[in-house]
Amino acid sequence: MEAVKKYGEQELVLMLKQRQQPAFSYLYDNYSAALQAVIMNIVTDYDRAADVLQEVFVKIWKQIETYDDTKGRLFTWMLNIARNASIDTVRSKAWQNSKQNNELTEQNFTAAGTVQTNVDQIGLRKIVYQLKEEHKLLVELSYFKGYTQDEISKMLDIPLGTVKTRLRTALTQLRQIIK
Amino acid sequence: MDIKAYIESGVIESYVLGMAEAQEAAELQELSRQYPEIKQAIDAFEASLEQTAFANAMAPPSAVKQNLMASLKDDFIQEKPVLPAKQPVYTKHTTEMAPVKSLSWMMYVAAASIILFVVSAALNVYLYKKYDHTNNRYLALLKENTTITADNKVYQTRMLDIYNSMEVMGSPDMIKVALPGINGKENDLATVFWDSKTKDVYVLANNLPKPNDDKQYQLWALVDGKPVDAGMLDDCNGLCKLKNIPRAQAFAITLEKKGGSPVPDLTQLHVMGKVV
Repeated sequence: MEAVKKYGEQELVLMLKQRQQPAFSYLYDNYSAALQAVIMNIVTDYDRAADVLQEVFVKIWKQIETYDDTKGRLFTWMLNIARNASIDTVRSKAWQNSKQNNELTEQNFTAAGTVQTNVDQIGLRKIVYQLKEEHKLLVELSYFKGYTQDEISKMLDIPLGTVKTRLRTALTQLRQIIK
Repeated sequence: MDIKAYIESGVIESYVLGMAEAQEAAELQELSRQYPEIKQAIDAFEASLEQTAFANAMAPPSAVKQNLMASLKDDFIQEKPVLPAKQPVYTKHTTEMAPVKSLSWMMYVAAASIILFVVSAALNVYLYKKYDHTNNRYLALLKENTTITADNKVYQTRMLDIYNSMEVMGSPDMIKVALPGINGKENDLATVFWDSKTKDVYVLANNLPKPNDDKQYQLWALVDGKPVDAGMLDDCNGLCKLKNIPRAQAFAITLEKKGGSPVPDLTQLHVMGKVV
């Protein structure tokens, strides 16, 4: 689904930096559904994901000055804000507490080192699901759970170098799939 | 430097997905400026990532946008520098429309309240009138019902009296004495029923003119040529039970003053008949 663009990306960013309301409205209309799905990959609950989405758009609005188009696309920048906000949410105390009442919908990392996967996965997570088990786990932990490679190395008792290599391989395969 | 191997190493994905370490990221940024192939690979992965995200888009609840627009409304600039001519019209429109809108809203509410009040008042009047009418009819019916009940009791009493009269008249011991009207009062008629065993006397006023309020009919028994008071005729239903007369040859009725007289006023003799 290619969104019909009214503004070019550079024009939109310029208008956003000028604090123009129509630009923000357009930004939301154009990207909210894509970002909602991205957040859903990590937060899983629709209503909670919507709360995170709202938070994410406030962040985008407040931090638009820091966006540098030489470093990447606007969507990539927003995607990373959404991912970080989602990981912060699932790692928060409030989330951890509510999760205990919500075990079945939460995708849990098990002690055996396998990832319990949800059948109705969407987006990037669905693609990750197509990876080999060892790769899937690494991407799951690093991308969706936000653990550093060092943390993953300790958690899984795998040397840091192996984690790095496997993760790189996993990500290369990921690119092949979504290409 | 083997650019191809670098591109294939996964560092680009790691960078784009925000998973690269600061040092790696800085290195990649530097290299991408030098090598267009790296820049191209980054762009390509970003584009496909964005495409994937759009392909899997899921609309959030509409409340999110409303909340955002409301919470950020003070952050938005009031004037659009790109279109300076149009913007004042826009702000004028919104700032002036708002109070008019809210005023007309209140006026609608006020008008609705007044209409509601008038309708309610009219309804009250209408319902009161209806209530009044119904209440009057109810009272009339209640009165009519009382009258009918009273009448019914009167008729029941009269029926019982007449039934009792028929019982008396039908008795085989009863001697019937017809008292026809005397000369000049031929239309008058009364009947005496005289029980031959108990000697009780009953009178049926078949046809006697209604007396004045101060007058009353009196029955006389003629015993050996002398009139003996046999009692006063009251306004009884059917038979009037009068006195006990052991012996008589004839009966007569005169109109006397109310309460009766010791001696009959023969000028006021109405009916007379002999015992057969």
